[in-house]
Formats: sequence, structure tokens, C-alpha cells
Amino acid sequence: MSQQKITFESPSFFKRLKSMLSVDFYRLFHTPLFYIFLAIAAIIPAMLIGMTNMTGPNGEPTQPLFTNVWQAIAADTPIYGFEGIEKYANMNMVFIFGGIMVSIFIGHDYKSGYVKQLFTTHAKKEDYMISKTLACAFAMASMCISYILGAVLAGALTQTSFAVNVGNLIFAVLGKIFMSLGWASLYTFLNVIFRKYFGISIASSFFFGTGILVIGVGAMVGNTPVLNLFLYGSSVFACLSSTAVNALVCLLTSVFWAVVYNAVGSLVLYRSDVY
Amino acid sequence: MNAIEIRNLTKNFGDKQALKGLNMTVPMGSVYGFIGENGSGKSTTEKIICGLIHPSGGSVKLYGKDYTDVDVRAKVGVLIESPGCFPNYSVWNNLMLQAKNLSIENPADEIRKVLTLVRMEGAAGNKYKNCSLGMKQRIGIAMALLGNPELLVLDEPINGLDADGMRIMREVLLDIARSGRTVVVSSHILGELEKVATHYGIVRNGKMIKEMTAEELNLSCRTFVALKTLDMQKTKNLLGVRYSRVEEDEQGYLRVYDAKNAEEIVSYLYSLGLIVIEIKTDKIGLEEYYIDLMKEKGVN
Repeated sequence: MSQQKITFESPSFFKRLKSMLSVDFYRLFHTPLFYIFLAIAAIIPAMLIGMTNMTGPNGEPTQPLFTNVWQAIAADTPIYGFEGIEKYANMNMVFIFGGIMVSIFIGHDYKSGYVKQLFTTHAKKEDYMISKTLACAFAMASMCISYILGAVLAGALTQTSFAVNVGNLIFAVLGKIFMSLGWASLYTFLNVIFRKYFGISIASSFFFGTGILVIGVGAMVGNTPVLNLFLYGSSVFACLSSTAVNALVCLLTSVFWAVVYNAVGSLVLYRSDVY
Repeated sequence: MNAIEIRNLTKNFGDKQALKGLNMTVPMGSVYGFIGENGSGKSTTEKIICGLIHPSGGSVKLYGKDYTDVDVRAKVGVLIESPGCFPNYSVWNNLMLQAKNLSIENPADEIRKVLTLVRMEGAAGNKYKNCSLGMKQRIGIAMALLGNPELLVLDEPINGLDADGMRIMREVLLDIARSGRTVVVSSHILGELEKVATHYGIVRNGKMIKEMTAEELNLSCRTFVALKTLDMQKTKNLLGVRYSRVEEDEQGYLRVYDAKNAEEIVSYLYSLGLIVIEIKTDKIGLEEYYIDLMKEKGVN
């Protein structure tokens, strides 16, 4: 029997994170799921804009849902309560579908036993949370861009108006893209909490993704900026009248919740049995 | 320094106590056969060593350090139940992902090396889902070997394999043992385990009931005389009068456990008119030792 001297090395946080990110991005780019959800993200605005320009059963013109292509991206003003489908059906829907994508993506980690293999190495729980959040945030941001392309293409085909204040639009889009990080962290957290129950993971992601809690509160208390403290509130705040302030609020809210969800998710993983 | 030192390990799953103060010492460089019935606590202990589940109490030291230390975790390779692979990825890609997680500098070289060690050089391009059970288990070992770990924890790597798969796995385990690594391997196939293990730990009902070296096992294993005559039933009856334990084994031999030597039995039977046509002395193996020990502890 050998009694050789064992030397120990601790890989740095950045080295560990870089390794894990490379795995997560490899998996993201090599799963059909990602491309399917990119396509879904492009089809949603195309359908919304296409349908809004359809005629009625007898050929009569219908009341268009949107008078402008960009209304499919964001509402004209932030409306937290529910005031009709046209105010709700915009790029925020990417975050609902994104939640389902994250659930399936993380669900594969557990179904395949990958986490079992991962957590027996030097990987730390917070590395996992951060890496998953960043990879999924990238996926959702890509879905946002895909959504815009779908909307633009459908708008061009249906000859819907493109008139907009470009500055406001840029800040609105930036705000929505910034929100991808916060939403991704929420879904990563939910999927860590319900890691043994795939169905509940998807259902909870869908539930929170619809923003129904903020909508409910918004209906009761009215349009108050306090709701921007929440992910759905900030996502609504990124509207077609956005300025740099709106985008900044989105960024801060998103980062705040990402830190909170990553910290709590890591704690849950540390405290509970992983597999 | 021991590779693993476990003291008073307990683990509760709700009301059920899976481990009840288990102690375990695995010397460096040993191949430690971890034996026990289903539900005795083997897998739970291995999962704790691997950092997958938390103990309720007690201490687990790997190379003198707490088992959760990041630097010590990098020294442990693991195969628990089945390898954690993505079914639609190739063997190579699955290994590459694990190599990246381990921050290995030259992953391709390392993957080629471990694939050679587990006799899977030609299967790197196969999709994981198309691999046989034996291949999957070897992929699991290849994955565990990535990063050149000092300690390997292998949970039931032999179970479910056909004869050829078992032979290859035995060769792989012997190669690993020769490399000086410490291996903890659990299995129900004790005959196979006996061919590779240098140390044993027998666990029952969440407690370690026996730890010993292969030499100690050898000394503990009683000798017996195995024989065949032309009238086995009569021989069994006659030997049963004189010796306290006479049993028929799977090969059709009569085993006499408390005879001084073979000559004594031959002359005794000859005096009764029975001719011995075949006779040999042997020792009971790990499997029989284990069964005897379990009987001692009141388990059927």
C-alpha cells in the first residue's frame, strides 16, 4: 500500500465559475430546446401582430389590438393591473416561456444525474446557482431579441406602423433585456427548491412568470412605483415611454433579486441533500 | 494518514435512522470492499463521503480534512449508482463536460487516458444512450478517474454485468488498485469483490460490525474438507454422527467443517466400507464468511 504525500489545491472562484459556465453554455447551445424557445419567442409577436390585422368572419375590419408594431414589445405606459390583453401581451411573455425553458434545462441536470456528478467535485453550490442564472439569463435575453425580430418581420409583412420615439424604445428594450437576469435567477431558485418535483417546477415557474401576484396587488393599490421593486413590476415599467431611469430601475431590480435568489438558493442547496 | 476516517456517523431520513453511529477507517492505497445487505447503510455512507447528502451527526474526514473542503473534493472520483451522463451526448462529450467541471488543463489527453484504462477507446463517439450497461458502468469509472483522483468511491459497479463485463471490470479495478489509488467499492457480488479487495468493512443496520484486512479474513475463514463418495446420502448420515457440521455444497461435495484433516475422514469412512473417490481441503470464501457472520448476528 502506498503512503504517498497528498497535495491539495483549491481552484479559485473564477476558475470554477469559468469551468461551469463553459459547460452550461455548451449544453445550452447543444440542446434543441434553446432553439425551439427562440422560435417560440419569434412566433408569439408575429401571431399577435398578424391576428390583430385579420378581418372578421364576414370580411369586416376588426378593432386592431395594436396600432403600432412596438406595442407588441412594450405597453405605452406602465400599467401594473390588468387593463386588457393589448397592455399585457408584450415582450413580458418571453419571461413566462423562458421560465418553462429554464425548468426543462435545469430539470435535465437532475434527471440525468449530472448534478450528482457535479456536486461530488470541487464545485460549490453558489457556483451552480450563478452559472445557471447567467446561462439562463443569456437564453432569455436571446429570446427577447428573437421576439423583437419576430415582431419586426410580422410588422413589415402586415404593414403595421413602426412610428416610435427611438430613444424610448431602446430604453424599453434594454430594460426588458436587463430583467432577464432577475427572472432567470427566480426560475433557477424555483427549480432548485422543487428539484425533486419536475411538474411543480414548471407550474411554479409559469405561475410566477405570469406576474399574477403583482397584477393582483396592482389592481388593488393602483399604479404605484413601489411595484417596481418586483420583477414583474419592473418588467412592466420598461414601457414605450421609458427613459434611462426606467432602464436603470430594471437593472437594479434585476441585480437585486438575482443576488437574493442566488444567495437563498445556495443556502438551500447547502442545507439540504442534493441528490 | 487514512484516506477516510468516519466516526459516529448518523443519518436520519425523517423518522428512519439509516446510520446509527457508523465508524469506518479506510487506509490510503487500499481497495476497501464495503459489504452489507440492501438498506444496511452502504449507499448512504458513500453518498455522505461524496458530499451528496449531509450527515445528521458524526465526523467524516478525507485525508485528515473535513469531507466538504473544496480542495479535498477535487481528490475524490465517484460512481454512485449510475454515471450522471446526458443520454443524447456522446461518451466523449459527457466526459468532456465533467473534465471542464474539474477544470482539467488538457481534457482531451486525459479523456483518452481514462478511456484506455477502462477499455473504451473505440466507443468514444457512441451516444451514451446506446451503450450497454457494462459500458455505462465503465464510462462512470472513466468519469470518476478524470482529474487523477486519489480516492475512488464506486457504488455497486459490478452489479448487473454479464460474465464478460464482470471480467473487464475486475481488470479495470485491479489496474486502478495497482496505480496506488484508494478505492472504496461496494457490491453484493462478494466472489468478485474478494478478487480485488485488500480491506473489508461489513455494515449492518446502519453500523459497522466488522472491519478487517484480506489477511485477517483469510485467517478467520475456517478450513473444511470436501469429498465425494459413491453413496453420498449414507456418507452424509455417517459423517453427521461424528462431525457437528456436514453440508452439501453447490458442486455436489460434502463439506466437513470440523475435521482435523482429510486422512482422518478417509480412514473413518473406509472402516465403514465407504470409498472416497475425491477429496480436497479448502477455506470458506468471503461470501460464506459473510453469511456465517450474518447468522451469528441473527440474520437469515
